[in-house]
Amino acid sequence: MKLLNKIFTGTLLLTLLASAATAFSQTPEKGDLSIAINYYITNNRVPYLVVKVKTKVDGRFKNVAGIPLKLYLDKDSVGTSIAKVITNERGEASAMIPPSVRKEWNSQSKHTFLANFDGDKKYSSAKGDLTVSRAKILIVAADKKVTATVLALKDTTWIPVKGVDVILAVRRLASDLNINETPTFTTDSTGKVSGDFKRDSIPGDAKGNITLLAKIVDNDQYGNLVIEKSVPWGAKFIPVSTFNNRTLFATRDKSPIWLLVIVYSIVIGVWGILIMLVLNLLRIKKLGGSSAQ
Amino acid sequence: MENSILTAKEKIIITLKPKKAISAGDDKIINDLLPQQFGKAGKLWVGILLAFCLVGLFGYYRQLRYGLVVTSMRDYVSWGIYISNFVFFVAISLVGSLITAVFRLAGVRWGSPLTRIAEIIAVAAIVFASLIIIVDMGSPERFYNLFTHGRIQSPIIWDVIVITTYFFISMLLLYYPLLPDIKILLRYKERSGERLHKFYSFIGSFWKGTPDQFKLSDKAINILCITIIPVAFTIHTVTSWLFATTYRPGWDSTNFGAYFIAGAFLVGAGAVVVAMFVFRKAYHLEKYITDNHFEKMGRIVVLLSLLYLYFNVNEFLTPFFKMKESEAAYLNGLFTGDFALVFWFAISSGMILPILILLFKKGRKPLPVFIVGIMVVVGAWFKRYLIVTPTLLHPFLPMHDVPASYHHYFPSWEEWAITLGSLAGCMLIITILARIFPIIPIQETLDEQHETVK
Amino acid sequence: MDQENNSRREFLLGGLLAVSLAAGCNSNKDVFEDAAGEVKPSGKKVKLLSVDGDVIEVDEAFLKPVPHMPPVSNTEARKGIPGKKFVMVIDLSRCKNLKKCQEACNHAHELNPGENWVKVDPMQEAEFTAPYWEPTICMHCDEPPCVKVCPVDATFKREDGIVAIDSDRCIGCRFCMAACPYSARVFNWSEPEISPAVAAQPYSIETSVPQKKGTVGKCDFCADMTREGMLPHCVSACPNGVFAFGDINEDSVSNGTETFRFSDLIKDKAGYRLMEDLGTKPSVYYLPPVGRNFPYESGLENDKIQNK
Repeated sequence: MKLLNKIFTGTLLLTLLASAATAFSQTPEKGDLSIAINYYITNNRVPYLVVKVKTKVDGRFKNVAGIPLKLYLDKDSVGTSIAKVITNERGEASAMIPPSVRKEWNSQSKHTFLANFDGDKKYSSAKGDLTVSRAKILIVAADKKVTATVLALKDTTWIPVKGVDVILAVRRLASDLNINETPTFTTDSTGKVSGDFKRDSIPGDAKGNITLLAKIVDNDQYGNLVIEKSVPWGAKFIPVSTFNNRTLFATRDKSPIWLLVIVYSIVIGVWGILIMLVLNLLRIKKLGGSSAQ
Repeated sequence: MENSILTAKEKIIITLKPKKAISAGDDKIINDLLPQQFGKAGKLWVGILLAFCLVGLFGYYRQLRYGLVVTSMRDYVSWGIYISNFVFFVAISLVGSLITAVFRLAGVRWGSPLTRIAEIIAVAAIVFASLIIIVDMGSPERFYNLFTHGRIQSPIIWDVIVITTYFFISMLLLYYPLLPDIKILLRYKERSGERLHKFYSFIGSFWKGTPDQFKLSDKAINILCITIIPVAFTIHTVTSWLFATTYRPGWDSTNFGAYFIAGAFLVGAGAVVVAMFVFRKAYHLEKYITDNHFEKMGRIVVLLSLLYLYFNVNEFLTPFFKMKESEAAYLNGLFTGDFALVFWFAISSGMILPILILLFKKGRKPLPVFIVGIMVVVGAWFKRYLIVTPTLLHPFLPMHDVPASYHHYFPSWEEWAITLGSLAGCMLIITILARIFPIIPIQETLDEQHETVK
Repeated sequence: MDQENNSRREFLLGGLLAVSLAAGCNSNKDVFEDAAGEVKPSGKKVKLLSVDGDVIEVDEAFLKPVPHMPPVSNTEARKGIPGKKFVMVIDLSRCKNLKKCQEACNHAHELNPGENWVKVDPMQEAEFTAPYWEPTICMHCDEPPCVKVCPVDATFKREDGIVAIDSDRCIGCRFCMAACPYSARVFNWSEPEISPAVAAQPYSIETSVPQKKGTVGKCDFCADMTREGMLPHCVSACPNGVFAFGDINEDSVSNGTETFRFSDLIKDKAGYRLMEDLGTKPSVYYLPPVGRNFPYESGLENDKIQNK
C-alpha cells in the first residue's frame, strides 16, 4: 500500500511539473498590428477619425477587435489627447475632435494624428499616424450643373486648391452614382470643378428630391471630405408594394380567394358528410341500446 | 340495394330465432370464415415482419440522431426512395375505393368477398403513407407547424388534408360493414378468447341487427361508397401534383393526375390479387374465394394494365418525339442510359408481361394470377422510384460545385431498412387486422347464401 | 473645472463612439446618421470642435452613433424594408472562376464544406456558342416557385424583394428544393460544423446564421448588410467586380468600386435573366459574356479543387 502511495504521489508531481514546464517554456509570440487612421469631414461640420486595426494572419489581413487605442493631436501628451477608444468587431474605432484641443487645433493648418497602442499579451505595441491639412469643400447646384469648390486653410484664410480629385455624384443605396460619365474631376486654379447633371429622371423620393454630393476620397493631404446637397432633379417615385396582394406565393393569410373558396367548400362538404355518418353511427348505437332483444 | 332490404327481413327472422335454430349450412360458413389463430407459418411470418420493422426502427433512430446525412440523398437528389415509397403507399390505398366502392355501386356481386381485404389494405397503406412522409422530413419535431402555420397555397397541405380525409373514410368503410360480423363474432366467444371478445364488445356490442339499424347502416355505406370515389381521385391527383407543380423535366406534365390514378388502380388490383391468394391458401377459403374470382380479377388487372400502358405511352412517347433540350438527357437516361435496366424491367414486369399472361384463359387461373399480381406490385414500386429519382439527376443548371457523391444516388442501408420496415409494417397491420376480423364478410356471405337458396 | 468637465465629456464621447460601428471608408454613413435616417432632437447639447476651429453646440441626439444593430425581430425580418427592391447584376464577361465570392459567402454564413450558396458553373449551351463561367445564386424571384409550395411559411418573399428562410420554422420537407429550377437551395443534411458559440445564437432570418440540421439554406442577398446600406459579401469579395448590387427603385447598382445606372447598364449591355420563359421573374440580371480579355480555360484550374 505504501509503495502504491509513493508511486501515485510521484506520478502526480511529475505531471504537475510537466504541465508547469510547458506553461513556462512557451512564451507565445506576439503578433504585429498595423494601425491606419482615416480622417473624415462630412458636410463641413465636425471632423472625425476612423482608426482601423489589422493583423497579418497566414499572409492575409484580418481585422482585430478589442484593441484599446489612445488618439492624440500632434503630440502625445495629456493636453492634446483626442480620445481613448477600443476597436469593435470590425477592427474599427472612431472619435471626434473634442473642444479640449481647440487651441492646438486652431494653432496651425496642418496636423498630425497619432494612435498609440501600448501592447498586451497577444500583440506588441504599435503606433499609427496621419498628417492632414485642414480643408473644406463647398457645392453649388443650379440649372442641372453642379459646381464644387475646394478650399484649404492657409494661416487664417481659406484659399482655393488646384489639382484635387473630386467626385460629383448622386447618393444611392450602398454607393454613389456619378452625375455623368466622368468618374473624377480635378480642381482648376480657382479650386472649382464643374459637371453637367446627365442622370435625367433618376428616381428620387416622392417629391423627386435627390441628394447630390461632392467628395474627395483618401486624399494624401486632405483626407476624406464630403458635402451633400438636396435638389429636386430626380423623378418622382412613390413605391408601389405588392406585398399585401393575395397570391399563390404570399403568406398563409393572403391566399387567393378562389383557392380558399374551392378548398374550404370541398373540405366542409366532405367532412360534413363524414360527421353526419359518425352521428349516424351514434344513432345506430342508440337504436341498439333501446331495441328489445 | 333492393336485395339487402329483402334480406334484412330474413335477418330479422334469423336473429330473433334462438341460437340453436341456425341452420347447419350457416354454421359451416361461419366456422370457415371466423378469424383463425396463427399456425406455425403464421407465427413465423409475423416474426419476420417484426424483425424487419425493428431493423427499420433502428435505421430511423440513426437518422434522427445524425440527420438525413445517413441517407444517400443529397442536394440534387433531394427526394429519394422515401418519397417513391410514399407515392407507392398512396397508390395502393386506392384499392379500397376501387374494390369496395366501385364494385358495390356498379352492382358487381362477385366482388363482395374481396371488400374486406381491400379495405384492410387501404387502411394499412394510408397509415404507412403518413408515417413514411414524416420519416422523410428533415425536422420532424416541427411536424405540428403544418397545422399551426399551414399555407393553404401549398400542395403539401392539400395532400395532408386529403390523406386525413381518405384515412377517415377508409376507417368508416371498414367499420360499418364490420358491425354485422362483430355480432357474429360475439356469439363465438370460445373461438375469440377473452381479450378479443372484450374488444369486439367494445366496438360493436350495440349492433343488434334490427331493420332500423340495417337501414341506417346501408344508407351510410352507400354514401361512403359514393363519397370515397372523388376523394380517392383527389388523393392521388394531389400526390401527383407534388411533382407536376414543379418545372422539372419528367414532372412538368399535364398528364400526371390521370397517369398516377391509372397506376394506382393497377397496383391496388395487383395487391388485392396477391392478398386474395395468400389468405385463400392460409385460411383454406377455397369455397369463398373461388377460381372464378381469380378469373374475374385477372380480367380487371389486364384491363387496368392496358389502361396504365396507354398512359405510359402518352407520358413517354410525346416528349420523346420532341426531345426538348431540358428533357433529352432525362429521357435518354431512362431509355438507354443509367436507368434503362430499371425502366424496362418496370414496364415489362408491371404492364407488358401481365397483359400477355392474363389475356389467355389459362393465365387467369389462381396461381398465374397471383404471380402476375406480385409482378405488378414489384414493377409498380420500381416505377415509382423512376418517377422520383431520374428527374432530380437532370436539373436545368449543371450539377457543379458539389462533392462528387452528389452526382449519383443509390439508397444507403438505413434507407433500405426504413423502407423495407415500412413495407413490413404495412403487411403486419394487414396480418393483424386479418387475424382480428373475418377476412371475408361473414354476414354478406350468409346473405348471398340465402339468396341462392331461395 | 472647465478642463475637467471637458475631459470627462471627451471621454464620454470617446466611449460612446468606441461602441459604434463607425463608417467604413467606402460606406456613405457618417457618424451623425441614425440607422433609420430620422433623428429627433433630444434637447441635450454637446460642445464639439468644428472644422473652422470654432466650438459648436450640437444636439446629442444627432451624435448618437449607429450602434451595431441587433438582429431585427422575426416579424420585421419577414416584412423586409419597404420601398426598396434589391437587384443583382452579374457580368459574365468578367468572371474568371476565382471563387472568391464563394469563399466570402461560405465564411460569412458559416456554411458546411460542400454547401455553396454561390455556385460558379461552366456553361456552354451548344457546340459553337461561347463557353463561360456563370455564377449562380438565389434569383429572389418575384413569383417564386419555392415560396408557392412551402407548406409552413418557412420561406417567404419580403417587401424588399428578398426571398428569405426562417430556419426555426422549416420542417425539412425539401419541396422548395424540388420546385426551384435554378438549383439555388441546399440542405443541411447533417449537424452544421460551426463553433458551439455560434450554434447557440438565436437564428436570425437576415444573417441566416446559425444554420440548422434538417433545414434548407440559400443565398439571402445578405439582408443584414443591405439593411445597413452595405453591399453583400460576394459583391465586395469579387476582385473583378463581377457582381453589382443595388436597389431597382433607385435605378443604381454598384460592385463596390464602380456604380452604374441600372436601366442604362441592362439596355446597353443587353442584360437578360435566366430561364425567363418559366415566368419566375428573377431579380438577378446577367450581362452576356462579350469582349472577355481572358480565355475560358483560365478558370479550369480553380475548378479542379472541388469538382474532380
